Amino acid sequence: MTGQTLSTTDWRERSANQTRLAFGQALLEIGEREPRSVVLSVDTQDLIGIRTWIDKFPERFTELGIAEQNAIGVASGLATTGLRPYVCAYAPFITARSMEQVRNDIAYANQRVVIGAAASGISLGVAGGTHHALEDLALMRSLPNMTVIVPADVDEAFRATLATLDIDGPVYMRLGGRVEEPPVNDDRDAAFELGRAVQLRPGKDVTVIACGALVEMALRASDALKKENINARVLNMHTIKPLDRDAVLAAAAETGGIVTAEEHRFAGGLGGAIAELLAVENPTRMRMVAMPDEFAVIGPTGPLRTKYGMSAEAIVTACKSLLQ
Amino acid sequence: MSETKEARRIRLETEARKLRRNVWRALRAGGGGHAGGSSSAADILAVLYFHRMRLRPTEPEWPDRDRFVLSKGHANAALGAVLAQAGFIDDALIDRFYQFESPFGMHPDIKVPGVEMCTGALGHGLAIAMGMAMGARIQKKGFHTFVMLGDAELHEGSNWEAAMAAAHYKLDNLTAIVDYNKIGQSGPISELIELDPLADKWRAFGWEVREIDGHDIGEVVDTLDALPVGKDRPSAIVAHTVKGKGVSFAENTYRWHSNNVDDDVHAKAISELGDT
Repeated sequence: MTGQTLSTTDWRERSANQTRLAFGQALLEIGEREPRSVVLSVDTQDLIGIRTWIDKFPERFTELGIAEQNAIGVASGLATTGLRPYVCAYAPFITARSMEQVRNDIAYANQRVVIGAAASGISLGVAGGTHHALEDLALMRSLPNMTVIVPADVDEAFRATLATLDIDGPVYMRLGGRVEEPPVNDDRDAAFELGRAVQLRPGKDVTVIACGALVEMALRASDALKKENINARVLNMHTIKPLDRDAVLAAAAETGGIVTAEEHRFAGGLGGAIAELLAVENPTRMRMVAMPDEFAVIGPTGPLRTKYGMSAEAIVTACKSLLQ
Repeated sequence: MSETKEARRIRLETEARKLRRNVWRALRAGGGGHAGGSSSAADILAVLYFHRMRLRPTEPEWPDRDRFVLSKGHANAALGAVLAQAGFIDDALIDRFYQFESPFGMHPDIKVPGVEMCTGALGHGLAIAMGMAMGARIQKKGFHTFVMLGDAELHEGSNWEAAMAAAHYKLDNLTAIVDYNKIGQSGPISELIELDPLADKWRAFGWEVREIDGHDIGEVVDTLDALPVGKDRPSAIVAHTVKGKGVSFAENTYRWHSNNVDDDVHAKAISELGDT
């Protein structure tokens, strides 16, 4: 972590257990390290926490207003001149509304643009279905050239954001909303390796592969299963694309089945990515903990997760059903 | 000895005529294509590439080059022709239009030397060009960014997001040229969704506007030479043009927005365009 300008305590405190804020904190570090970095806002200055960046690097900040299609096009144009744009946006809008700009202007044209997509999943629960992003992973991972990352906590979000400096192409970074995302790794200084799953619990009976907010639930599920003498391996699959094939295939070969867990619809997310791989390479019994094929009702994020079966209890049930 | 105005006009008109011939040549190779919008854009492209823009065809990635984005990407036959004439790409590529695995297809591909962006999905180019202009400003570079927009393309709302933002940021290093041939894919623009008063729309968004005859080489030269036309404002040039310009049967009809071209049609078009 050479050249770090912020002390670990500072960025951790300011991130307040929210990945969206950790992204903003990491941008400050990127601003120091990479003079070509620029930040774009679509009226999202507080969403990602970039007011400090604006103060420090005003000439490398552009506000574009609530105009996501324009923001992606502008980011692409900036990237062609050698700059490194970071677009701070709402996950539901930057993916669905500007999908064509994301596909053509940055994925097809293969430009180094990083999208920081806050308020993903049902983190804006009370905002209702218009503001939930439950298909963004399916959209983004269907694009060639695109790297898709889902940090599980602030440590991972901070380091994954720094890792984008070395990614030669577009990146979709899926971030949370105003909900707590507690640390999932006992080693809070663990390095971030793009495309490499992190094994958080060993186990030979069954494997839970989770991302984002569901990683913490996978750990709780694993702890609960342990009490019943079931050893569930837990993999934090922070990179959805490129997928860590080796980790998935090893889990399929070494354990009795795979449960995937994510805050995303069944269609096309982490579970879909793993099912696609296993269907071809090693057909394996699976269960998918994910949002059903419907729009969520209004409610706080926690109760919504429980209502739609995205919970530690649901993961326990899914694991047990594989072992029967 | 510097070139006289008259000599320059003749040189640019010759390039434009050659460009139209190359467009029809590409269309014959491809069996068809967008004759209408490629031909209406030809004179402006000739002035940009053979007079106005600072370019290095043998060094297409030269960082200080002026930028051109063909937002109306379906006129790629014209872009490919002008890039070949300017020396960015091999002339033989014109005969590979639409061919299997050719880099020269219906729409621009960033992998082709001289092509700045993959365009043709409409309503993208202005935002991209705005990003290039901002990139120049942030890096204190002096290059100018041009973007050519189709008229029917202006029905896409994303253009107006970019128009509003570019004016807000006073990007006087950005010029949008509307190839206003007034005919879309399905018929006259006025019958699809009316754009007029088009110049007023740009003015209302904060742009400095010039209306010109997009086929009068002298007027195109003078207008482009005078850029930026307004201090601290992006420039919009509403260029009144004729769809299919130069070939009688293709002029002013939506049927030649895109159409099939065989040897016979090609020969007729070429005979009307005349020699270079």
